[in-house]
Amino acid sequence: MPNFNFPAAAGWQAKIVPGGRRLPNETMSQTKPILAIKNLHVSVEDKEILKGVSLTINAGEVHALMGRTGSGKSTLSYTLMGHPRYKVTAGQILYKGEDLTAMPADARARAGIYLAFQYPVAIPGVSVSNFLRAAVKARRGTELTIKEFRKELREQMNRLEMKDDFLSRYINDGFSGGEKKRLEILQMSLLKPELAVLDETDSGLDIDALKTVAGGINAMTGPDLSVLLITHYQRILNYITPQFVHVMQEGRIVLSGGSELAHELEARGYDWVTQEPAATTDAAVAQALAP
Amino acid sequence: MTETKTASTIARQRVDDLAARHGEAGWLKEARLSDWELYLKCPMPTPRDQDWHGTDLSALDLSAFTAVDFQPVEPKSPPEHPFVARTLRHFSRRAGVIVQAVGRPGYIELDAGLAARGVILCDLSTALREHGDRLRPYLAVPAKPDLNKFGLMARALFNCGLFLFVPPGVEIDLPILSMALTGGATAGSAIFPRLIVLAGDNSKVSLIHASAGEGAGRSGGGESAPVLHSGLVEIQAGAGARVSFLDLYQFGSNVVSVNRSEAAVAQDAEFTSLTVALGGGTTKSDIATYLQAPGAASWVSGLVLGSGHEHFNFNTIEEHNAPDTRSDINFRVALGDSSASVYQGIIRVARVAQRTNAYQQNRNLLLGGQSKADSIPKLEILADDVKCSHGATVGPVDRDQIFYLMSRGLTESEAEELIVLGFFKTVLESYPVAEAVDWVLESASQKLFRKPSGQTPAI
Ligand SMILES: Nc1ncnc2c1ncn2[C@@H]1O[C@H](COP(=O)(O)OP(=O)(O)O)[C@@H](O)[C@H]1O
Ligand SMILES: [Mg+2]
Repeated sequence: MPNFNFPAAAGWQAKIVPGGRRLPNETMSQTKPILAIKNLHVSVEDKEILKGVSLTINAGEVHALMGRTGSGKSTLSYTLMGHPRYKVTAGQILYKGEDLTAMPADARARAGIYLAFQYPVAIPGVSVSNFLRAAVKARRGTELTIKEFRKELREQMNRLEMKDDFLSRYINDGFSGGEKKRLEILQMSLLKPELAVLDETDSGLDIDALKTVAGGINAMTGPDLSVLLITHYQRILNYITPQFVHVMQEGRIVLSGGSELAHELEARGYDWVTQEPAATTDAAVAQALAP
Repeated sequence: MTETKTASTIARQRVDDLAARHGEAGWLKEARLSDWELYLKCPMPTPRDQDWHGTDLSALDLSAFTAVDFQPVEPKSPPEHPFVARTLRHFSRRAGVIVQAVGRPGYIELDAGLAARGVILCDLSTALREHGDRLRPYLAVPAKPDLNKFGLMARALFNCGLFLFVPPGVEIDLPILSMALTGGATAGSAIFPRLIVLAGDNSKVSLIHASAGEGAGRSGGGESAPVLHSGLVEIQAGAGARVSFLDLYQFGSNVVSVNRSEAAVAQDAEFTSLTVALGGGTTKSDIATYLQAPGAASWVSGLVLGSGHEHFNFNTIEEHNAPDTRSDINFRVALGDSSASVYQGIIRVARVAQRTNAYQQNRNLLLGGQSKADSIPKLEILADDVKCSHGATVGPVDRDQIFYLMSRGLTESEAEELIVLGFFKTVLESYPVAEAVDWVLESASQKLFRKPSGQTPAI
């Protein structure tokens, strides 16, 4: 496993969560983390949603974040992207060692952070092709010629099995669930982020679409891309293998482990996280983390 | 409450002199004089008048304005001017062009084949000299009872404009362009253009008309006096005709622009109108459509983009005067800075106009923290078998749309601009002249780019 030397002698920290379990909440490695979230508290309209999230992702790693609906996964994804509605009240988000908290969304995007939205927004009147060109120009800082742009676009669209008429349609306007998710991944392939947060990119996809979209994501993963893959179900993890799985509950990460944890969750349900005695969980974690 | 009392009285002598100077026919002078009399009786509008709803021009003294004329048009070369150049480049395929300007010669061209088939395109003075008989049935008629003081003034004093005649059965596929450049007008001057479009039965024509000018009183004193633009548009769509009209205003902040356009739509005729207001200190326009015979249909849309302290007041009036008529109104307003807009949409359905189908939509985007929009639908329905609906929205740009675009690296102002242009584009896509879509969006985006100054591009 790349960059995986958990638990490192000095860096490992334990945290006691309700239920008395010890949880690893930070992984350390020799490489500098691309993302380090430290004790993050986030409020929406004065209601605290995230209550101390800590998570470290090193370059090239794929982390899955699972949890029930309403546990705060999308809140974390919006916060990472810099949505002004989500207020950081305590803690830090370090991207390549720099604190992001004051950075607006567009600057984060240009710096290489990408969010695939759980619910992509429709913008009537703005064609996909105009938008993609503007976005690519913003991210890369130079404008591609129409020819170069078309060529690159065609390749990526073929891979995602998207038809040309997509380009003249308006952003997400009247798109099916699957079309929206494909457009999210198409944008990601053009913007070439270093850190991608994929918020339930799998939900609403039939099995063929899921395979295509997962294939698109897998084609991008590698040492230059780190991924936080947010999902409600284990299903997409049959196609994309994370090195780490985290479970969120009521605004906190309550459990972390290796990819097996996802299967365990699938088999036993999220209730297991709260109900099972600590020992089982620790055993699962220990197993997951064994080299 | 006491009001600023202004004279606004125009001496009969001005009408007499105008008619004499142009050597006008007796019927025309009579028509002018009867409108002049109505003008004198008509009170100056106040912001409390229903049709004006907050738009205040009561301090203007209409008698103080000096009318200026466009110079004659020549078939030589178009005036050198960025707006003209851009527009001609954009509509490289076209059936005809007329450019009229204050303070410099204009330009005219018309496809020779169309001219041979009887199509007439000329400035209004030429038309009155050469085609008086054709114009008389439309000019020597009483003004509509709801025409305001400015409109009556324009009918009494109009001195320039355009005449477009399309004989029955002649279909013109390419657009005809008309540009009126008012930038040469000095402070305190007034321009009264009148556009007459007669589209014969089963004809087809698209007229794209743009009025552009800073009109900022560059020469001479009286810096604070505005330029008055008071335009009249009269369109007749004959039975089975397909007529589209695009009216774009792009004035500077020193222009007060009060306009009235009227289209009479005959049996089975289709009329499409698009008004694009991209600037002007105060703009007040009434856009009236009269569906006069069964099967008549109209699509009336408007795009307004305000900035600075610009004030817009649009009334659309749809009169369904015959059974089985359709109308569809779509007015979209985007307001930056401290600009303001009032939109009133009136749908009148006469007792005979059974099976009318009327739809009205008005959407307002508030971009500026100080901007303000009012939307007032009015339905006056006397028939009982009618489908009629309306809807209005007023609100800021959707923050989630902004965030979505920013999350892809666009700055907040780039995001807002794309959203505003998209907001306009969904209206434009049903406009029958495809080349017009990009031309309008480009004109709008030029204004958006200059947003901080709140000024339209120098014309
Ligand atoms: N914009 C918002 N306004 C109010 N409450 C919100 C908002 N976004 C999220 N919440 C609340 O925060 C909690 C977490 O939601 P969310 O982050 O969407 O969870 P998940 O993505 O895990 O389903 C929920 O209780 C939800 O109701
Ligand atoms: Mg969610």
